[in-house]
Amino acid sequence: MTGKPYRLPETAATGSRIDRSKQISFSFDGARMTGFAGDTVASAVLASGRKVMGRSFKYHRPRGLIGLGSEEMNALVGVGEGGRKEPNLRATQVELYDGLTATSQNRWPNLDFDIGIINNKFSRFLPGGFYYKTFMWPRSFWEKVYEPFIRNAAGLGEAASEHDPDTYEQMHVHVDVLVVGGGVSGIAAAHAAAATGKRVMLADENPVLGGVADISAGEIDGISQTDWVAARQAEFEKSGNCHVLTRTTVVGHYHHNYVLAAERVCDHEPDLLAQGAPRHRLWKIRAGRMIVASGALERPIAFANNDRPGIMMASAARGMVERYGTSPGMNGVIFTNNDDGYLTALKLHETGVAVSRIIDVRKDAPSALADAAREAGLNVQAGAAIAGVETTSGGKQITAVKIAPYAIGRGRVVNEERVECDFVAVSGGYNPVVHLWCHNGGKLRFDDDIQSFRPDRHGDPITVVGSANGNFDLKTCVEEGFAGGETAARELGGKAAKPVKKPMVKAHNAGPIEPIWFAPATGKYNEGNKHFIDFQNDVTAADLELAQREGYESVEHTKRYTTLGMATDQGKTSNINGLGVISDATGKRIPEIGTTTFRPPYTPYSFGAIAGTKKGELFLPVRRTAIYDWHKIQGATWEPVGQWRRAYCYPQAGETKQDAINREILAVRNKVGLLDASTLGKIEIKGPDAARLLDLVYTNMFSTLKVGKARYGLMMSEMGFLMDDGVTVRLGDDHYLMHTTSGGADNIVAWLEEWLQTEWTSLKVFVTSVTEQWSQFAIAGPEARTVLDKLDSDIDLSPEVFEFMSYREGTLAGYPVRVFRISFSGELSYEIATPSGYGRGLWDALMQAGKSEGIAAYGTEALHVLRAEKGFIVIGDETDGTVTPHDVGMSWAVSKKKADFIGKRSLDQAFLASKGRKQLVGLLTTDPQEVLPDGAYAVESIKSAPPMKMIGHVTSSYFSPTLQRSIAMALIEGGQDKMGETVSFPLEGGKTVEAVISSPVFLDAEGKRQNV
Amino acid sequence: MSEAVYTSPLAHLENTRDAGNLSVSMSEVSDRGMIDLRGEAGSVKFRQAAKAALGIDLPLKPRSSAVKGDMTVLWLSIDQWLVCCPQNKAGGLVSTLRKNLGEIHSLAVDVTDARAIIRLEGDNVREVLMKGSSIDFTLPEYKAGLVRRLMFAEIAALAHIVTDKPCTIDIYVFRSYADYTWKWIEATAKPAATIGLFGKRSG
Amino acid sequence: MKASPRLSRTRNDEMLIIQCPVCGAEGDETDFHCGGQAHIARPATSNPDNIADGEQRDYLFMRFNPKGLHFERWRCDRGCGKWFHAARDTVSLDFKAYYGITELPPADVMKQATGQWADFFKQATAGRPAAKKTAAKKTSTRKPVSTTAKKS
Repeated sequence: MTGKPYRLPETAATGSRIDRSKQISFSFDGARMTGFAGDTVASAVLASGRKVMGRSFKYHRPRGLIGLGSEEMNALVGVGEGGRKEPNLRATQVELYDGLTATSQNRWPNLDFDIGIINNKFSRFLPGGFYYKTFMWPRSFWEKVYEPFIRNAAGLGEAASEHDPDTYEQMHVHVDVLVVGGGVSGIAAAHAAAATGKRVMLADENPVLGGVADISAGEIDGISQTDWVAARQAEFEKSGNCHVLTRTTVVGHYHHNYVLAAERVCDHEPDLLAQGAPRHRLWKIRAGRMIVASGALERPIAFANNDRPGIMMASAARGMVERYGTSPGMNGVIFTNNDDGYLTALKLHETGVAVSRIIDVRKDAPSALADAAREAGLNVQAGAAIAGVETTSGGKQITAVKIAPYAIGRGRVVNEERVECDFVAVSGGYNPVVHLWCHNGGKLRFDDDIQSFRPDRHGDPITVVGSANGNFDLKTCVEEGFAGGETAARELGGKAAKPVKKPMVKAHNAGPIEPIWFAPATGKYNEGNKHFIDFQNDVTAADLELAQREGYESVEHTKRYTTLGMATDQGKTSNINGLGVISDATGKRIPEIGTTTFRPPYTPYSFGAIAGTKKGELFLPVRRTAIYDWHKIQGATWEPVGQWRRAYCYPQAGETKQDAINREILAVRNKVGLLDASTLGKIEIKGPDAARLLDLVYTNMFSTLKVGKARYGLMMSEMGFLMDDGVTVRLGDDHYLMHTTSGGADNIVAWLEEWLQTEWTSLKVFVTSVTEQWSQFAIAGPEARTVLDKLDSDIDLSPEVFEFMSYREGTLAGYPVRVFRISFSGELSYEIATPSGYGRGLWDALMQAGKSEGIAAYGTEALHVLRAEKGFIVIGDETDGTVTPHDVGMSWAVSKKKADFIGKRSLDQAFLASKGRKQLVGLLTTDPQEVLPDGAYAVESIKSAPPMKMIGHVTSSYFSPTLQRSIAMALIEGGQDKMGETVSFPLEGGKTVEAVISSPVFLDAEGKRQNV
Repeated sequence: MSEAVYTSPLAHLENTRDAGNLSVSMSEVSDRGMIDLRGEAGSVKFRQAAKAALGIDLPLKPRSSAVKGDMTVLWLSIDQWLVCCPQNKAGGLVSTLRKNLGEIHSLAVDVTDARAIIRLEGDNVREVLMKGSSIDFTLPEYKAGLVRRLMFAEIAALAHIVTDKPCTIDIYVFRSYADYTWKWIEATAKPAATIGLFGKRSG
Repeated sequence: MKASPRLSRTRNDEMLIIQCPVCGAEGDETDFHCGGQAHIARPATSNPDNIADGEQRDYLFMRFNPKGLHFERWRCDRGCGKWFHAARDTVSLDFKAYYGITELPPADVMKQATGQWADFFKQATAGRPAAKKTAAKKTSTRKPVSTTAKKS
């Protein structure tokens, strides 16, 4: 057979998806292989004769291909190399391209010889819930022995360890009707809905539309299903109102028909990446109506060792032959409880693949297709089941099955017949894919006719059609789809210009299904006879039965205890079989047991799609001041403050960060420094009640402030805790400019709006943020005025005229400016604001002017040390949302005259005035060179081991180059009464630092330096 | 002293116009003056005084705008407008507004420097915006004149649809986000990433 | 299987798409900001001098947690910036009504309130002629504040 053991000769019935004229080379576990264009990794590897494609999760048993699409749970591969490697992909979905590299998973050192298989030998010690049982004792083993072992053994594929070089994106779209699933039902729905002119989106996870149309029997509108699908698709593409997404999995459904769909844009064609296309695209869809046409998945049958390579789903075997011209083997056996097995048997027979036996659970095999099989000369054995399999050594390939009459129960089979074969195609019936229906609360009901759960009620505007709704015959699938699409569009007001013809369907009636949840085995139950239910999680029938015996009555408990239906597979094939086993074990009917929860995502999708554009320099929005580029050129290191990047310090050649910080501080104390303070919040507040508003939001009085003057204000939350501070200036009688902290800029303007709109609705005040309008710099230091005096200005800077805590407007060096004589460093200081477009120009002019005075730009760390030397608090350092103005020694800023302001009543509550509260103090370490770590805890007394009573913590701690010693601020219980006392700070590694409680003002307590 | 140096929010880029390698054309609008105007829309006195200064009626319908000559007024809220004018006129206009408004409860502030404006043009503009925003820019009411504040690429922005054919949309963001916004659009508006939403395809 | 029909469905009558009653902007929940329970009176506004500790405690911390109809404050964050009130069902997540930030709910929605809310509205409307809504606004609709202190 063309040199490839399992590739079938080219006929009309084989290989519809592949192009045999185009050879593709790829590698699987390092072995070079070839396939054809249109192949999947699964079909190409199988065609090469390789049946083992993975190892199982827990027992490391060799596993082969089992499915045809996203339901595959054995053949999981990692695809790609380096940063592009993506683990856990289903080989059945990975389309082949030249140079593709795929690696199997769960094996070491390789697939053929895997050390972990030893777990299989010891499997009697790995029963359901074994994690919970085994690793309980001794307790001390947990951290060092058990946990590392579990972490090593757990997980499926390996994630890439390098950066992903590709781009990803997201797209929002609003549609009238979203159809999920491009099988015949979904296409009929989209067809009917699109005809009304409504906007329709049709999403399907496969590369081509049609679902299983190409491997099913029956005609639509007198042509083959495949031709009908192609005709509809051509219409959609011309319509202008129906957008078709292929290779797009609808992964989740959320409130209000919010739907996530993951599109694999380039995975099949990596060349697109080089052109700049995103590798994956995550669609965020709002749908007026959603039509779920997600089809059905064939379910396995639990028979002894049903996981051996060569055993696969009947639909998958048929699909391999018809789509990829790849036979699952040379000599097959069919095991079925419904008609689907016969479709496969007949197709294999037609294409020349030997079928030695059709084993039908049903007595008499009552169906037209069975008769057709018999007519074709196939050996149909009714009322029988597989009781065991024989394999080559290591279980890598089946060689025969054992067949016995089927009887419900767990008894041991003795009279079995041995039939040689190298593959088994299994059909246990179909389960509607109800995952999406259930994501946002859709209800299910059990249907005896299909022996499965089907959709029942849903509170959202969703319709489910076709086999997803439990209707497996072609006629109902198409008609229900069409009606669903028409109704959805009509409910949204859509009406077709001219009536669309309902598709006419010709198909056979299917025979009934006989439930089979367990096929008794030849050997002793559960000894060498594993009946797998959940292949991906290695859960067997015996595990589920054990869980029942151990009292896990709720199916949700059984799920967690055994891991049935967990992880990426989400019970696609295992759910109903698991319930069947529990039903047998408990005597309860399946609907009484209920089902577990299906959670998004339906199949995994990449982190790249979740992140979208948020990577690299677009990971987070970054805010830049107008001076950003200057800071960058000067080699500034950055401090993120919210989304802002502020210059932390400016190390010069040969300087450490600490050197730079010290130099910058000393420049301000001894000469002059310049700080980019543009990020400070700035709010214009205007109106006849502006003063009244400020009196209500600040703890202190602002109505008494004179025009042209500035005042420092404290803001509390309604609970009496500090939340912001800053200097507010009175620009006019009814006009103020408020400064807030950088972090509070957006919050405080919203805070003022909230109070104005919702509480003090009669106040006539407008507030508006002007934070970004102004670049603002602090020029600070004894030489600050000298530098400014060099620049042309219409502002008189002389100290008698322009006093501390006042404000002027004018020009400076030709720039329009607002100048505030305020100080956060304790030095002579002016804050100068200019419209941001002028910011860089003025900054350069100031740096130029200050050159001869030795001006230095200083960053946020110098700023913090400077203010700490002066004992000024920083909201968020000295406060943490539980600190009052009294606690930080600022009772002077809390008005006693005002009847009401935010937080006033709470501040009066007894517990906020109590003696023992933590209070702000200064700390002087006994070793002046020892800098306490931020957040270090003070204890009442040092003991040899914890617990020690904690009495406070360090809020800010620095080395002060001005004082040549360490300084710190701390909140200490009753601290203001403990001046001069020594407190201890036990640190990591048994070290203890002692410090003397002092005033938090370490420098110039009289404030002489700033007032010159 | 030398002349005051003025720089636009995106002046640090080598080029404030795209290099023609995107699915939209993109450029910085750096010559626009902006005034934040607040007042009570219900007050006839306020509206008249504003009109006397601006020469144009304030748009009162949510998300609308008014254009006359070189002046465009964007509706921001029921009591807030963004007045756009040539940059050299902004300062004078603020003074005129304040003078005309006098004692009428209002606030007029020059915010020319607070925002950056990025102009996007071309058939693909709506699609690019929908990659960064949950707003449906394909709705029928999203035509020339519409103003919409939105979350765009995770930041607060304002979109003003200037013309429909060709599609021209101005994106206003706070100045500090200008660089981020520009780079976000550069990364997103790659021709190979074009979707062609609901576009008719031949065949 | 057909889902239960929503007869009067427009895009704004369902969870997570919200419409601002002030400017009419419709958008995702992320375009809005929820400000917690509505109609909480701030004692200090009407009577700053005489507030019992318990009254202040209730104002700051005590909140309704109904299963079913709830009344909340929301802000049109990405639109006009205005606050408004909304009645929302905490089970179905449907918005039942939007109304002004200084208003009580529409009478038909207020009638559907149960438990603590029913008691609350009974008190709030006691002795008040239904027609004179405007007069009642200022006393009946107060704001709560955020229960965590904001930080810089």
